[in-house]
Amino acid sequence: MQFEEKIAGGKLVCIEVWSTDSSTADRVRISGDFFLHPEDSIEDIEDSLIGLPLDSNEGAIEARIAKSLQKRDASLIGVSAKDIARLFAKAVSK
Amino acid sequence: MMWRVIEYSKNDAFMNMAIDEAISEAVAVSAPPTIRFYGWDPTAISIGYFQCLGKEVDLKNCAEFGIDIVRRRTGGGAVYHDGEITYSVIAKESVFSKDILESYRQICGCIIDSLALIGIKSEFKPINDIIVNGKKISGNAQTRRNGVLLQHGTILYSVDLDRMFSALKVSDEKIRDKLIQNARERVTSISQQRTVSWNEAYEALISGFTKGKDFCLGDLSDSEIMRAKDLAKSRYMTSEWNMMRL
Repeated sequence: MQFEEKIAGGKLVCIEVWSTDSSTADRVRISGDFFLHPEDSIEDIEDSLIGLPLDSNEGAIEARIAKSLQKRDASLIGVSAKDIARLFAKAVSK
Repeated sequence: MMWRVIEYSKNDAFMNMAIDEAISEAVAVSAPPTIRFYGWDPTAISIGYFQCLGKEVDLKNCAEFGIDIVRRRTGGGAVYHDGEITYSVIAKESVFSKDILESYRQICGCIIDSLALIGIKSEFKPINDIIVNGKKISGNAQTRRNGVLLQHGTILYSVDLDRMFSALKVSDEKIRDKLIQNARERVTSISQQRTVSWNEAYEALISGFTKGKDFCLGDLSDSEIMRAKDLAKSRYMTSEWNMMRL
């Protein structure tokens, strides 16, 4: 399951979600031409979404991402936690 | 504060990225803040840290044309490195604004000043571009680690869009011509704006980047060169790094 969008500001973000039981996320990949400092915290964000029920609302998805960012004192540039949550929800609803 | 300016030289893609990282490590310890100018030989594509190589690059055409491919440690988009001048600015984070966008604006200001010196009026387009009459002439990418800010970017001197698009992947082959046409309308270069030699453009960049700074011309130290060679081999040349995020 994937969803890709050029978000406001011009950065392209693609969310891919894998699920074997069609109810929770087993693996998540976030790619694109955005910025994130430090860069390797992308894996923490992706990992934070593993186990997430696919029918979670955007607020719950965003909360996980925000917590993960906070943990690493990480900053997203060109995309927000809210954008990623919205794209995640779109990817799994397709 | 005395800056070190490392004059233009060409390296392959792997060494270029490794040198930027080796300088960053050295600046974290004791090396002076550094401005470096460089080119790419052979022609190369660098992709952003978060990009999927297979989605961005036409691997077959790159192999056929001898174009190197490397993943940067900065985010941002795929860049075709030919007909441009690349720079890196590497300094302690405290030298620039803590605010990331503001620090892009500060460093991009050096490019805007440089272009003004050769009669090209440009402006900063957040997050990381510089445009001339609405067309992109420079793309930039920044990272911060261990208290050190690295920003590198390119200033287009002249660009062969047909060749560029043969190396970059397009989502739909049927619209490749249209994409090239679109790119012609969105991208410009120094040569398109003014009749200026490469040397004049480069001299303007040195002036723009060093304006208001104490600086001396310098070289990489032996330890930076050794570390760069090690990083090129152990990271930037490896498929583990370049194929990451598949």
